[in-house]
Amino acid sequence: MKNQNLLGLSVSLLLVSCSQAPVESDTTAQSGSNEIAQLQQQIVKTNADIAFAVYEDALISANALLEKVEAFIAQPDEANLQAAKAAWLASREPYGQSEVYRFRNGPIDVLASDGTYGEEGDGPEGRLNAWPLGEAIIDYVAVEIDGSAGPENPATQLQGSLIANVDAYPEINKEVISQYFEHGEDERNVTTGYHAIEFLLWGQDLNADGSAAAIRDNTPGQRPVSDYLVKAGECTSGEVNVSEVVCQRRGDYLLAATQLLIDDLTLVVDAWHPETGSHYQTFTANTNSSLSKILESMGRLSFGELAGERINIALSTDSQEDEHSCFSDNTHRDIYLNALGVQNSYLNQYTRISGEQVTGPSFADLLNAVEKNDLATSLTDALSKTMQAAAVVDEKAKAGIPFDVLIQEGVNQPDIKAVITGLVAQTDIIEQAIQALSLSTGELRQDTEEDLSQ
Amino acid sequence: MWLKSTNLREKAIRLVLFSICALVIGCSPATQTDTPKPDEAELNNTTPHKHEYMSGGAATVFASTRDAFSHRPPSVANNFKLDGAFTSGDHLFRTPLQGVGPILNNNTCQGCHLNDGRGIVPVNNEQPFTSMLVKIGDESGAPDPVYGDQIQTFSVASFAESGFTPGMPKYHGSLADELVGEAYTLVFYETIAGQYPDGEPWELRKPVYKFKEMSFGDFVQGVQFSVRVAPQIFGSGLLDAIPQQDIIALADPDDTNGDGISGKVSWVVDAIDGERKIGKFAYKAQNPSVLQQVAAAFRGDSGLTSRVFPEEPCTPKQASCLEIAQQENHVPPTPDLSDTVLAFVEFYNRTLAVPANRGFDRETQRWDSSVVAGRTHFQEIGCANCHTPMHTTGLAKGSVLGFPGPLGLSAAAEPIEVLSGQTIYPYTDLLLHDMGGSCAVSRELESGGRCEAGADCYYVQRCNGLADGLKQGDAGGTEWKTPPLWGIGLVQTVNPAATFLHDGRARSIEEAILWHGGEATGSLSAFKSLSKTERQQVLAFLNNL
Repeated sequence: MKNQNLLGLSVSLLLVSCSQAPVESDTTAQSGSNEIAQLQQQIVKTNADIAFAVYEDALISANALLEKVEAFIAQPDEANLQAAKAAWLASREPYGQSEVYRFRNGPIDVLASDGTYGEEGDGPEGRLNAWPLGEAIIDYVAVEIDGSAGPENPATQLQGSLIANVDAYPEINKEVISQYFEHGEDERNVTTGYHAIEFLLWGQDLNADGSAAAIRDNTPGQRPVSDYLVKAGECTSGEVNVSEVVCQRRGDYLLAATQLLIDDLTLVVDAWHPETGSHYQTFTANTNSSLSKILESMGRLSFGELAGERINIALSTDSQEDEHSCFSDNTHRDIYLNALGVQNSYLNQYTRISGEQVTGPSFADLLNAVEKNDLATSLTDALSKTMQAAAVVDEKAKAGIPFDVLIQEGVNQPDIKAVITGLVAQTDIIEQAIQALSLSTGELRQDTEEDLSQ
Repeated sequence: MWLKSTNLREKAIRLVLFSICALVIGCSPATQTDTPKPDEAELNNTTPHKHEYMSGGAATVFASTRDAFSHRPPSVANNFKLDGAFTSGDHLFRTPLQGVGPILNNNTCQGCHLNDGRGIVPVNNEQPFTSMLVKIGDESGAPDPVYGDQIQTFSVASFAESGFTPGMPKYHGSLADELVGEAYTLVFYETIAGQYPDGEPWELRKPVYKFKEMSFGDFVQGVQFSVRVAPQIFGSGLLDAIPQQDIIALADPDDTNGDGISGKVSWVVDAIDGERKIGKFAYKAQNPSVLQQVAAAFRGDSGLTSRVFPEEPCTPKQASCLEIAQQENHVPPTPDLSDTVLAFVEFYNRTLAVPANRGFDRETQRWDSSVVAGRTHFQEIGCANCHTPMHTTGLAKGSVLGFPGPLGLSAAAEPIEVLSGQTIYPYTDLLLHDMGGSCAVSRELESGGRCEAGADCYYVQRCNGLADGLKQGDAGGTEWKTPPLWGIGLVQTVNPAATFLHDGRARSIEEAILWHGGEATGSLSAFKSLSKTERQQVLAFLNNL
């Protein structure tokens, strides 16, 4: 979204027409301290270094996933399916921590495939991570499961699923599956990304007995290995025997979705490359606007995206359709990792999948340097309180009570509520930090506009 | 809390701005002030206002791609609390909600408002209406005693399984134990050809609508049909905030000024507080607020009840519908939608931002010359007499439901600043106008022969001009609310299959102009008499909006 608000525009126009004193009040607000300016630059640089590291980790783990997917398709057996699932789960670990780099007109949101910076929505984010998925246009679905098992939108109904209908879609490849992404101008027709791969590995999250009863059990999706057996008489779509062509095409789809994931992640990694990345250069060169962006992303992810859309909506509608990683029952990790990403940005630390630490001066250091020690403490505490609450949900899931089972306890489920409350509280303090550091997210929009138009 | 602190911050920024302005004026006396003043209400015929390209005031976004109708204003994005409400509203807008049905037109908002834009006419008669619907009533405008005021094409069975066949309408199909959709609509187009005075030919497609598979038996005697496509929705919060008196001031029901245009206010009763108010939303302006519009659409189009409209869309004479309604998770007095969900979707609808005009280059600060010329013609031939270019919004009050967040509703919602006190350019007077034409409904077999009853006996509606024949509130069978024109040039960018006018009959903006009649007859003939270049300039202007 290339936004520039009216007031901002007027100010810049007026300033151009009068090159005198009034500008000073703005710059001297930084109190002229070189030390603080240096600290700010180091914070921004570390944040950019973490961005590169976390996206590169996502890419590395996506390549590892590709390897396992290829092995599974070549030899579809239980062990290879489990290995592919484990690789998918591992790939979500860095990606979940990268989501704090959204909501700031960064590459993930605005970098188009041709390398140009456009409007929000032009970036690969939707193709990579959109949900809920359009399961029914990808593959077979059980009719009973909650949410919309039918065509995501009858107005844009396709002739059967992409996998099943050989005549309508003779070939399945990266181009075809991205062509049908948001087909018919319907955002719900999601055909690509992590959750498409998740669906193709796990299948719909039916109960262990294959039913979609009103009461959900603690198992994830139950897709059988035979869904990938390219042998006459052995290929299935769930419990139904089908032509082996379908299994071949399901494998093609899985492969194409994984390859597309890698293409899209590569685009973002390149933009953040410390030496050659177009966005890395701009980001580190504009300290003030970048500080705003970091805090804005932290707040918007904490509040609107995580507390609101990802947790509260699923909780208040008690709907698996609104659960982020619904096929694998991995939503507890999404929540934990998103929240961790916010904490990473504040503390300016990230542990790479190799174990290597990327660290630098933190926002706590900056708040202390401008004598906002109380705020530094309260934000540190608020973030760790949220992490404790997220850890409870995480532990419960690991102990056999996944997110979709927790939310069916009711809208006042205390463990889930505690995460929401923690996120809401930390957002309040992030807002205070923005003010204490004399940063305005309103400025952010204009700076972004300038950045992008270059 | 955050709202308050943001307000303070904005006030501080304004103070700084004020001093900067003062200084600038001090150093350069020739510098013009930058904000439009109220006394600019009279539009200049030849020169656009300084900020006219910002159609939605502060709720404008610079967006011109397929997501152009889906953005939040910058000041919503910059405020965590507002941003969160928008995000949740967006999610709920596009996701199927529990409790849809028993009868419905679609199971999500976005299923009709494709990509937050317009719906589409089915590509052929094998495809049911999914982003269009049909309003019905008798000759006095009263609802059909069995079907109510709207044909819901599906029953919930169409959305519970793969494919929508199970809930498709079948003749008399809902009279026994089963429940299916109410009726199926077929669209046929006849070609009308003509030419401009300069010889340039044009072609229009005139619709004929046929209705079959009436699942609850015949419609009421004298039934009238109004076929409608889902409109784009952005900017509705700004229209909501236009003061009533400003709209009343534009009305001229008896045409006392003798210009042939007699805009009339649509007075309605607010379903929430029972007060008499101006209707602003829907094609005949039946709904006075975005909240009521949203709640009415939830109920009428998706079968989702709320505090505003707690009754399912079944009439007392639809036993099979009522029976299915009893099986929903939520039965009266508990509505399908919580107030929080309703408030999220209301906020989303109110704050969806208006795309800026593309005819203005912000770098050079210049307007495209054809756009400016087209703008002049648009005013000179009288289009602006109904498509009122500019309004100023009043205070956009917070939702009566409270402000929604992840911890529920706060008791009182603060006014929405981005919608308040904005100079906007929607190109509508929000009044009802007689657009001419007339309709006739007959019973016909597929072959065209007359019939009186039975499964093969269709209802057929033929109209001349824009009339639909349906009376709704103050709006008669030839009257329509002037629709806003902002964003019209992006309609087919957002959804390439979208078309124009209330029922999508016009394939282009030019065709939509050519359909005008009634009070717009004079303006239409003036448009036709323009030179080809001038007509293209008018279209360039409209496409820039």
